[in-house]
Amino acid sequence: MDGMRDEWGELMAAAQGGHGGAYRRLLGELRQWLTRYYARRLPPALVDDAVQDALIAIHDKRHTYDPARPFRPWLAAVARHKWIDRLRAMARERTDALPDDIATGGHEEAVVSATVLRELMGTLKPAQADAIRLVKLEGYSIEEASAKTGQSGSLVKVNIHRGLAKLAAIVRGRSDDE
Amino acid sequence: MTSERLIETLATGLVPVRPRRMSRDALFLAAIGVVELALLLMLGGARPDLMRVMMMPFFWWKLGTMGVLAAIGLATALRSLDPTMSPRPGLRRTSIAIGVALAIGWLLDATHRSAAPLAARMQWHDGLRCMAVLAVLSLPMVIGLAMLIRRSAPTDRSGTALAAGVAGAAWGAFVFAFACPHDDPLYIAIWYLGGGAAVALAARWLLAPMARW
Repeated sequence: MDGMRDEWGELMAAAQGGHGGAYRRLLGELRQWLTRYYARRLPPALVDDAVQDALIAIHDKRHTYDPARPFRPWLAAVARHKWIDRLRAMARERTDALPDDIATGGHEEAVVSATVLRELMGTLKPAQADAIRLVKLEGYSIEEASAKTGQSGSLVKVNIHRGLAKLAAIVRGRSDDE
Repeated sequence: MTSERLIETLATGLVPVRPRRMSRDALFLAAIGVVELALLLMLGGARPDLMRVMMMPFFWWKLGTMGVLAAIGLATALRSLDPTMSPRPGLRRTSIAIGVALAIGWLLDATHRSAAPLAARMQWHDGLRCMAVLAVLSLPMVIGLAMLIRRSAPTDRSGTALAAGVAGAAWGAFVFAFACPHDDPLYIAIWYLGGGAAVALAARWLLAPMARW
């Protein structure tokens, strides 16, 4: 890497003197180095843009490289500076605007079902509603529901049975009315 | 545009550039400083009792403090224009130098205790005027540093801008030390430090965007 660094320094010194061929070769090699550098630090979708940003920065600030000094620290400082800039930009633009015509599923059915269920549960005795909610809606076992409600296991089963029968009767009655 | 195309574009339009040299930048700033100081002295801005106060320790404490702070500040600002250099160590040295200068001033004050009451030593009217003049005298150096910042590649924008502000303010205070008739350490500590801090903070906010690249 030291040999490469010195070579890059010589190429940059030649580029500072206006040698386009040396500069073309240098930027080509730096592009590979920068791609590896940003691939380790940025999401894949941002790597190409970051590499091009860094290449432009290297071009704009090439006069700040002192040929008497090693090239690698200068390159690393420029690359790191542009990386931090990009991180700041990512932090500023954390969310993207969604298009107005994006397709999404409707929630009306779920909302109506939840409302109707709450209304129906309200017609039951509290002990029946608790037993049905815990066992049938939230998935607790009879024993767990018994422990939570203070009812015996048998009573939980009875309350579920009677509560469901009552709900079925209410639903049947509404269907007949309609 | 692909990276290959970008490289081709950059290489095709390549023009020679002159590599930045810190010594050249330092000479540029030194020229600004020398011209400013010479103008002040030639235009009669120096205090009339300059020869007499040059025998006094307070004057040399004032001049030496501002000179040392200007030297540290300028070196810090210049170094931080290189992308591989940070201004933070220099700013820490500046803080230490200010602390040492204040301690020396306090010692001098203790050994030559003024009989005047504290409020009289503050001299609010003159103090505010000193702050304003100090800010004006800081401008040439701050502008010179802003020009250098614009064409260099600092990687710590706020630190470099603050260092430039400290350097400009300290240089302005150094030049002003030849004109200001006050040598009381309390007066210097309050008004010079206040004026310098105002310049440094203003530079921190105004120059940081110029350091973007």
